[in-house]
Amino acid sequence: MNVIAETQFTDRAYPIGGPILELDSISLRFGGVHALTNISFNVLKHEVRAIIGPNGAGKSSMLNVIGGLYTPQEGSIHFDGKPLSSMNPGKAANLGIGRTFQNIALFKRMTVLENIMAGRTLFNKANFLEVALQMPRARREEIEDREKAEEIIETLEIQHIRKTQVSRLPYGLQKRVELGRALAAEPQILLLDEPMAGMNVEEKQDMSRFILDVNDHYGTTIVLIEHDMGVVMDISDRVVVLDYGKKIGDGTPAEVRANQDVIDAYLGVAH
Amino acid sequence: MTLKSTERATLAGLLSARASGSGDAVAIRLKRRGIWLSLKWSEMQTEAGAVAAAMTARGLQAGDHVALLSENRPRLFTAIAAAHAIGAVAVPLYSDAPAGEVGRQIKAVGATMVFAENQEQVDKVIKVLPDCPTVKTVVFDDDRGMRHYGQSGLASFETLVEQGRGAASTASAAVTPDMPAFVFFTSGTGDLSSPVVFTHAAAVAQARRGVSVLGLTDEDRTIAYLPPGWICQMMMTYGQALASGMSIWCPESSDTLLEDMREVAPTSMLVTPRVLDAIMSQVSTRMEDTGGLTLKLFNAVRAAAEKAAGAGSSAVAPPPGFFADYMLNRPLRDALGLSHLRAMLCAGDLLDPGMLMLFRNLGINLKQLYGTTETGYLLAMQGDTAVRTDSAGRAVSGVELKVDQAGEIVARGEGFASGYLGDDAATAALRTDDGWMRTGDQGTIGADGSVQIVGRGDSIGHLADGTRIEPRMIESRVRTSPYIREAVAFGDGRDSVCALIDINTLSVGRWADDNEIPYSGHADLASQSKVYELVAGRIAEVNRALAADPATAPQQISRFVLLPQELSTEDEMLSRLGKLRRSAIAKRYASVIEALFNGAPDVALERAIDESGLHTHDDEHPARLRIGDAPVVSSGQTRSAA
Amino acid sequence: MDTYEILFFVEVLVGGLLAGVMYSLVALGFVLIYKASSVFNFAQGAMVFFAVLSFVGFMELGLHFWIALPVTIGLMILVGVATERFVLRPLVNQSDDTLLMATIGLAFVLEGAAQLAWGVEVRRLDLGIPDVPLTWLADLTGIFVSALDITAGVVAGVLVAGLAILFSKTKAGLGLRAVADSHAAAQSIGIPLKNVWMMVWATAGIVALVAGMLWGARSGVQFALIWIALKALPVMIIGGFTSVPGVIVAGLIVGASEKLAEVYIGPYFGGGIEGWSPYVLAVIFLIFRPEGLFGERHIRRV
Repeated sequence: MNVIAETQFTDRAYPIGGPILELDSISLRFGGVHALTNISFNVLKHEVRAIIGPNGAGKSSMLNVIGGLYTPQEGSIHFDGKPLSSMNPGKAANLGIGRTFQNIALFKRMTVLENIMAGRTLFNKANFLEVALQMPRARREEIEDREKAEEIIETLEIQHIRKTQVSRLPYGLQKRVELGRALAAEPQILLLDEPMAGMNVEEKQDMSRFILDVNDHYGTTIVLIEHDMGVVMDISDRVVVLDYGKKIGDGTPAEVRANQDVIDAYLGVAH
Repeated sequence: MTLKSTERATLAGLLSARASGSGDAVAIRLKRRGIWLSLKWSEMQTEAGAVAAAMTARGLQAGDHVALLSENRPRLFTAIAAAHAIGAVAVPLYSDAPAGEVGRQIKAVGATMVFAENQEQVDKVIKVLPDCPTVKTVVFDDDRGMRHYGQSGLASFETLVEQGRGAASTASAAVTPDMPAFVFFTSGTGDLSSPVVFTHAAAVAQARRGVSVLGLTDEDRTIAYLPPGWICQMMMTYGQALASGMSIWCPESSDTLLEDMREVAPTSMLVTPRVLDAIMSQVSTRMEDTGGLTLKLFNAVRAAAEKAAGAGSSAVAPPPGFFADYMLNRPLRDALGLSHLRAMLCAGDLLDPGMLMLFRNLGINLKQLYGTTETGYLLAMQGDTAVRTDSAGRAVSGVELKVDQAGEIVARGEGFASGYLGDDAATAALRTDDGWMRTGDQGTIGADGSVQIVGRGDSIGHLADGTRIEPRMIESRVRTSPYIREAVAFGDGRDSVCALIDINTLSVGRWADDNEIPYSGHADLASQSKVYELVAGRIAEVNRALAADPATAPQQISRFVLLPQELSTEDEMLSRLGKLRRSAIAKRYASVIEALFNGAPDVALERAIDESGLHTHDDEHPARLRIGDAPVVSSGQTRSAA
Repeated sequence: MDTYEILFFVEVLVGGLLAGVMYSLVALGFVLIYKASSVFNFAQGAMVFFAVLSFVGFMELGLHFWIALPVTIGLMILVGVATERFVLRPLVNQSDDTLLMATIGLAFVLEGAAQLAWGVEVRRLDLGIPDVPLTWLADLTGIFVSALDITAGVVAGVLVAGLAILFSKTKAGLGLRAVADSHAAAQSIGIPLKNVWMMVWATAGIVALVAGMLWGARSGVQFALIWIALKALPVMIIGGFTSVPGVIVAGLIVGASEKLAEVYIGPYFGGGIEGWSPYVLAVIFLIFRPEGLFGERHIRRV
């Protein structure tokens, strides 16, 4: 008889908690165009939440509303139970909302390590003089930053490109570095804008693994929008489906798959 | 406590001697998160003692087998030391082997404990556990992702250290030199690998021989990056470190090897021809990027190396001019971290003479060494100065070599295997009637004692007209091009020699960039006519060189195909050490090989079928593969040219 | 060459290098803004003029030198803050061309404002440092170098070194480089875009003040000061638009080469070569090394 029985998985280290983000009746218009109409959903602490939908469904708009890039004309957002008003990207960052971009926004002239270290900006309290004179606090911060950056580099398996200038890297690795920079800020919520767009099968698998690792290891709440249905269904706890700026489905991947509106609007449509 | 170098000893005894004699010296260093961490001999001894106690508590006994699935990591070596401390046998496996192979090997030795580096390896072990009822405990090193595993037989290395810390240290006195210490699996390119047993005495004798031949001291540094399941790598790191006190440096990951090597500046290291190809490919690419005088110098050095290699019997690296040394050799050695290197030992496959001379011309003391798994890693080695490029050097001191009546090289000396585990018949057949150990290699020994290996049976063939061909020799020459990663030559029973070529995506990609040729990936690159021309040009050079010698002239490559997919270990086209698996390749590309010889202009490649019976993602590959012609120099032309 | 000729050569070279440091200083203002906003700041010359004219104006109002200086610095910081608030912020995410036009507009506003407030006549700026050769240096080495030139060189050198350290070693520098690369990315990790811009424009303003004071002391505070920006153009081309060390070295090269050219080649062209030789050098660089000394090369796709 084998001592080692069948694999049995224990519960998550960070069990899914209460709502960390609540969006209530969000409407967003650009001129006369209704990008989002009366959308409400929530994101629970420590979950992986996906927003999916066909092209032009309003996925990116939704993410940009959460990230503070767009201000909706109507509706409210609660973060950790507190209402948020007049959001902007800087404020979002300060609240612990990190993000990546669909078209990779890295500091292309810096190395991978510098990019990830840059993600630590918010943690540094040492002022100019302290840094210039290498005072204890500045030194301590630098060491902490480097340690955190190295931890992320190890997690994302990018040790070999640590000192490489980002612009020299292939697309798949740049995406990974961008994730790393967002992680360096130790965000509570991580917004991923099509993290697997333009990747091959292998790169997608790697990226899925990293996203799940991050969620598992740091308990980071993840909100991602993605075009690739297969990947989303595999890694998400719950899925919101948008179509023409309206919410047409919300639930676990299995529920969403079974939802007739979703099938009609999305799954049934040949791409 | 110090041990005389002649005293019979155990590896466990050597470790105790290091820990008490020079406990504060660094045994192993590991780069992690950008920093070199170190483990002292005394720390290693203490930790190994604790783990040994915990292992004993979990039922491990002397004579039990501990399988190890890990890259070169400090804890791999500590786990081996722990096993040795209680007389258990360490069985290092290839960590990149698929689960099936791992399962067969664990079963073959009846391992009761498995040390796994990380989640990936643990998963592999769990997958094969139903077939391996002997396994009671799986110890893992890296706990990342391991939180979800609730099995009772699963324990982290830290847990073992913790549990064993309080326990009374197990006396290593119980371990005697005649007890088995290691089991290595033969790496043979054949489908079957056999478990080969070494006693402590044999392992120590081998390691001491290496230390004395290489002149290693506790000041030396080696870099550990090749699979620890390979006897050469294990003995050149763990064995020689115990015997000499040198330190073992483990790079951060296989991808950072070259960068880490620069920081380590090893004094002794093991390479394979594939590693040399990879290093040289990167050097060439950088040289092309640099251009100018440096590139000219480099090309001159390379040309000189080719010439020296062509000279055959006895070649000496020409002393570099002061200018070349200052402008090229030194900066290059510094950049590669090879400035302090005293010897770079190449094993595992045939070393191309051109590559050998190129490294030597650059002032890097590259040497081919010769050994087999059964006889240990070091039977013969090339000298420091003049070398016969076609020879594996002379027998090292302490080893006698001769050729028996059947033309096979046989060896006598200390440190050889005691036999195959659980196969008495094969063990008995391993030695000749007069007690010499067989190597399985055909060869000759010259009057000056230099050993020439003709090769194992599978690497020699004959054209239809009976001309002898040596595919490995042809391939190693073709591979010296930075644009070509692998070549597989065929010709046995045919009229001519043809080859499958695997291009180096990175360097050909750069070349395509420079020449403004758009491409979308490996398969696309490998289908472009410009790339065919590029490769044909390189093959033409090789053909010219082959034509220069009447013995090799018939072996010129007439036609070739660029493979749309890299040959890899994963699809079992390459062995664990990166050697070609000829039979597997011939089977996979049967239709292509047929087309090479029947004169067709192109050929359809059937899709590969993976384990699940599904077609692998071949969609990106072109439907038909083009066949390229290479210019062959006819014998008449050679004569007129001469 | 006899001793006299060697001394003369050294004298010309030193004079050129000292002038070069001042070119570096002016070019540095451009580089800072170019890095942060990817725009060639047409208003840099106007800022020099505005800054030094205001400084002289404050002194004429009776303020002591050491009071007028911080007041003017404060004024330039205010200009930087206002520029961020009223010019840059409304133009976020607009094309680079739009920003360029905006800086041209800013140039006219600053020139107009300065002349409106302080009048148009040329003024003398006396820093209390005589523009005569240092006698002890002349006695010691036989080289004649003006005390004003030395002071200007030292002040500019210190400022340039300080800024180089500021922008290469500190968080502020990292923020600047981050903003230069990607506004969206910088914001997403909490780098405050507007603070970086304000800081950069304010710094550029202070640099403009120092440059203006040094040049003004030599040639009078006048409208022509806006043209020293033209001298900075070849410096930037040679040094690379985004490289702080690049423009420092390039400034020295331009300064030294124009003086040497004037003295040794000038006579063959009938003089006046000083005015255009830097541009010839710049054109040569554009042909053979378009990215400049330390500028970024166009990186090949891998």
